[in-house]
Amino acid sequence: MTDSQWPVFEVFHQQVRGEPHIHVGSVHAPDAEMALVVAKEQYARRQACVNLWVVPAEAIYASNYEDADMFEHVTDKSYRESWGYKTPKTISRHEGTKARRHEGEDQASGDAIRQQATGNSQREEAT
Amino acid sequence: MNRSAVIDLLYRLADDALIIGHRDSEWTGLAPILEEDIAFSSMAQDEMGHALMYYQLLHELGEPEPDTLAFNRRARDFKCCGLVCLPNKRDWAFCTVRKFLFDAAESVRLAALSESAYAPLAQLARKLRSEKKYHLMHDRAWVVKLGESTEDGRQRMQKALDFAYPHALGMFEPTESDEPLAQAGICPRERELCSQWASAVAPVLKKAGLRVNENARPVYGGRVGRHPEALAELLESMQMVYQIDPSANW
Repeated sequence: MTDSQWPVFEVFHQQVRGEPHIHVGSVHAPDAEMALVVAKEQYARRQACVNLWVVPAEAIYASNYEDADMFEHVTDKSYRESWGYKTPKTISRHEGTKARRHEGEDQASGDAIRQQATGNSQREEAT
Repeated sequence: MNRSAVIDLLYRLADDALIIGHRDSEWTGLAPILEEDIAFSSMAQDEMGHALMYYQLLHELGEPEPDTLAFNRRARDFKCCGLVCLPNKRDWAFCTVRKFLFDAAESVRLAALSESAYAPLAQLARKLRSEKKYHLMHDRAWVVKLGESTEDGRQRMQKALDFAYPHALGMFEPTESDEPLAQAGICPRERELCSQWASAVAPVLKKAGLRVNENARPVYGGRVGRHPEALAELLESMQMVYQIDPSANW
């Protein structure tokens, strides 16, 4: 089968409502509607999926890997790290504003929290 | 419950799904583009899955095992409509149109069967509807795109539609089961389903710039076991391996 001359669409799928959309690959298609139609069978055939995004690849403006050094931390920036702010996702989701207030408190008792966090194998994002 | 009418209906549903599934699977490796090849093959598998579930309902009503029903019956024992039997002839326009007309009919039928008084069928129909929803979304996109594409594209689609439409009307061939099924609230009459289907496909075909021949004469026979020669050929190819040793364990 020859490569089609159609544009490339990047495909993002969401496994659970409210979770982030994750990039899973790309498809060739004449337009967005068709991209979505074929993406469904390419990328939602086996895994759970509640939502799909297709984005024209040309709409993505990306950095260059040659410039990856610009992301390096040259000086100590541990004070910027979020691990002292961990709050279980479920709590933050259900108690949005309250959870954010707790984070402030967490910051105050940083040491205790940090110990807890390092002992906690589940990686949870700060909200 | 009118047992023989229910059995007749289940055979029609199962055989339609099995045969269109096999026909569509013949595109595997040959469809226009890789992504569509995967999608089309995947939907062909879906149809096989639907067939299996209908055959299981038949088995629960005392009919033979699903494998026996699929691989050990002759063409005359099948109750599928003529539309699903027609050979692909590597004609993408025809296969796209056929799949659209078929999936639209299935959608109408499954919606009605979701309310069926025969509980096992109602339950199954509700389950299958979600998969059909995608099938139809896929077909619609293709039919409209190809119809709107170029004059050449539109003409090929029109030719495919003109050829397929009379056979598509045959999906709703009235049978002796119509009245007992309708009266028992198990399945609406075929002519009623047919008019619902015609209203459902009309706007899509119109959007694709295609004309329906209102004078098309339905091609009947499938529901009573009269099929085009193509079905016997299909079965020969589909049943070949099974027939070598029907008692083998898979």
